Amino acid sequence: MKLLELDSVRLAYGERVAVDGVSLTVNEGERTVILGPSGCGKTTILRLLAGLAAPDRGRVLISGQLASADGRILIEPERRGLGMVFQDLALWPHLSVIGNLDLGLRARGVPRTERKRRIHEMLELVELTELAAARPGELSGGQQQRVALARALVLEPRALLMDEPLSSLDPELNRRLREEILALQARLGFTLVYVTHDREEASGLATRIVIMNRGQVVRDGSPEDVSAAR
Amino acid sequence: MLGSAVLLLVVAGLLPVAVMVARSLTAAGHLGFEAYRGLLASPRQWLLVWNSLTLATLTTLGAVALGLPAGILVGRTDLGGRRALTALLAMPLLLPPYLTAVGWMAAGSQTGPVARLLGQGAAEGFSRFLFGLPGCVLVLTTAFMPLVMLLVAAALRGVPSRLEEAGLLVAPWPTVLRRVSLPLVAPGILLGAALVFLLALGEVSVPPSLRFPVFAVESLSQFSAFYDLTAATAAAMPLAALTAAVLGLEALAARRAGGARGVGVAASGNVLTIPLGKLRRPATAAVWAVAVLLVGGPLMILISQAGGPATYLEALHSAGDSLWRGVALAVVGGALLAGLGFVLAMLVRERPGGAGTAVDAAALFLFAVPGTVMGVGLIVLWNRPWANIVYATPLILLLGYLARYTAVTLRLNRAALELVPEGQIEAARVAGIGWGRRLVWVAAPAAWRGIAAAFLAGAVFCLRDVGMTLLVHPPGWDTLPVRIMTLAANGAPRLIAALCMILVAVTVAPVVVLSIILGRRAVVR
Repeated sequence: MKLLELDSVRLAYGERVAVDGVSLTVNEGERTVILGPSGCGKTTILRLLAGLAAPDRGRVLISGQLASADGRILIEPERRGLGMVFQDLALWPHLSVIGNLDLGLRARGVPRTERKRRIHEMLELVELTELAAARPGELSGGQQQRVALARALVLEPRALLMDEPLSSLDPELNRRLREEILALQARLGFTLVYVTHDREEASGLATRIVIMNRGQVVRDGSPEDVSAAR
Repeated sequence: MLGSAVLLLVVAGLLPVAVMVARSLTAAGHLGFEAYRGLLASPRQWLLVWNSLTLATLTTLGAVALGLPAGILVGRTDLGGRRALTALLAMPLLLPPYLTAVGWMAAGSQTGPVARLLGQGAAEGFSRFLFGLPGCVLVLTTAFMPLVMLLVAAALRGVPSRLEEAGLLVAPWPTVLRRVSLPLVAPGILLGAALVFLLALGEVSVPPSLRFPVFAVESLSQFSAFYDLTAATAAAMPLAALTAAVLGLEALAARRAGGARGVGVAASGNVLTIPLGKLRRPATAAVWAVAVLLVGGPLMILISQAGGPATYLEALHSAGDSLWRGVALAVVGGALLAGLGFVLAMLVRERPGGAGTAVDAAALFLFAVPGTVMGVGLIVLWNRPWANIVYATPLILLLGYLARYTAVTLRLNRAALELVPEGQIEAARVAGIGWGRRLVWVAAPAAWRGIAAAFLAGAVFCLRDVGMTLLVHPPGWDTLPVRIMTLAANGAPRLIAALCMILVAVTVAPVVVLSIILGRRAVVR
């Protein structure tokens, strides 16, 4: 079933065209990896899906509902039911690990006891229970990644958007966290849209790979198809 | 060069305060607290302290209540006419605070607009409100609110957009602002509140004009009325101690809160605009109405009271010498302040801990310390036969300006230097270019815009100074704000209004011209 759709979207920042005429559909439960070099428009695709940017032309649909079109955002980011992990993680430095997870639940009016239960479960899942009171600055790189993941997942999003979240980590930690993401996805069943420039990362995570170059989709298929076509 | 700059700050500001402390403790010829005993034994002094603290607290609350939303609105939203609104709301910061008081006093006079529009009864009621604590709070809130507004707006522009976007994925803007953006700039808000509290505490021009007795005026009158330097010193000391205590507490709270502290926060590049949506028009109208009433109101009343060009000519004839003296001192003071601020900003940038932090804290302390305290300190230090070259000449005023306003130019230069890529300075260092030449050859050309802004800000602060200048100016060297203050007691209201407006024009005109020039050059680049 279609969850996320981009229909002929174009977005330019001044004279620089970030994405041009991109159409893409992501189905529920899929693990889609968008692969391409720096500046090819991968991050812009995530921002369009999340509602942090509106397409100059074309439409963005979430579960068949028109979310933004022709320069206008019709469904605000916080009402799209999507989670996002940013490249620099964007953890709120003034809040503890619990505070980072709690803000979104609170904004959605989740009752206090329910919030506590969900945060506790999520911290157990990402093995951060003992660091619940720590602030992001007191955590290691890998622990910060887990907090960012937990912050997005605690809201039980329909899809998780990840913008090169592992790019700054050493290869060993990168591999371990990839395995953890796969395990979490298998357990929770969320749809994953993952952006990277690393082919190995892409083939390790994807059930489907979309290759982008210069703001356009140049190939779309299973990891095997894409790798055979190289 | 660096050593000379630090030494200048020490001699100009820290030494006078230190000598003042020493004198207050050795008033009876030996170490003791005799000078304070008389002060503490008097119930009147305690009443003055209570009045001062009440005025400073209420002014701080008012300035934060207005400055915080104003900073958010002009700094981050799509409110209509934000640049013009910022300029209008910031204008009182450029002018001596008593100018607003003079405007409101004219409004409530028997022939003023309140009497003409609403009748004598309303004018009397307005005057009853104005003369006393409420009037002082109104005037000082208007005068110091821009400090909070500008600090909040600058700090909010430094919040990384990514942190706010992460918030927007889970919550609407009001929640993101309340739970993410504002907590991150809390140290900036705290600094603004601390500075407003201290400036209100040390204000000596508005409370006497509006007949509200406060402690800061005490050291002024002990010196100018009784020429009792020991009593003046003792009266100044509690304010100096309180300044150090408030700034210390503020720094402690800022460290615990972490995050960005006021001006000088590195800009994140991409600043998100908060859309006001349907509220845009009513919010724009409401904010403009408040700005025009609070800032434009008193000025329009002064213009109306001054009347035609003849009054201005008469005013210039009677006080023109004070005006030109003030302008000349402001130009020299502004240039010295810009240079000193730049050298010290480079020190703070290159040595962010230790020496840099100490210099930054010292400059901030000297800015927040009341003008009368600094004035008494300068007199205690320099009123000696061998130091007549300083004490009896405008040099003492220039030293006082350097002491009081280096913090302003240091921070403006720091903000400008933060935009100079580290690599440019490091490349010069690797090439074997020494500290002084790096400063002049590499950093100064790259940060010239900040230096120009610092010169202007320094000159404006010199021009508007009242408290310190009133105490230390040598005979024949009074400035226009001081002349207006002394004339206010018994001068003709229309002449005083005209002099006030001349001061406004002289202060605001160069700011506008330089802003246009700097803005144009920025576009060309």
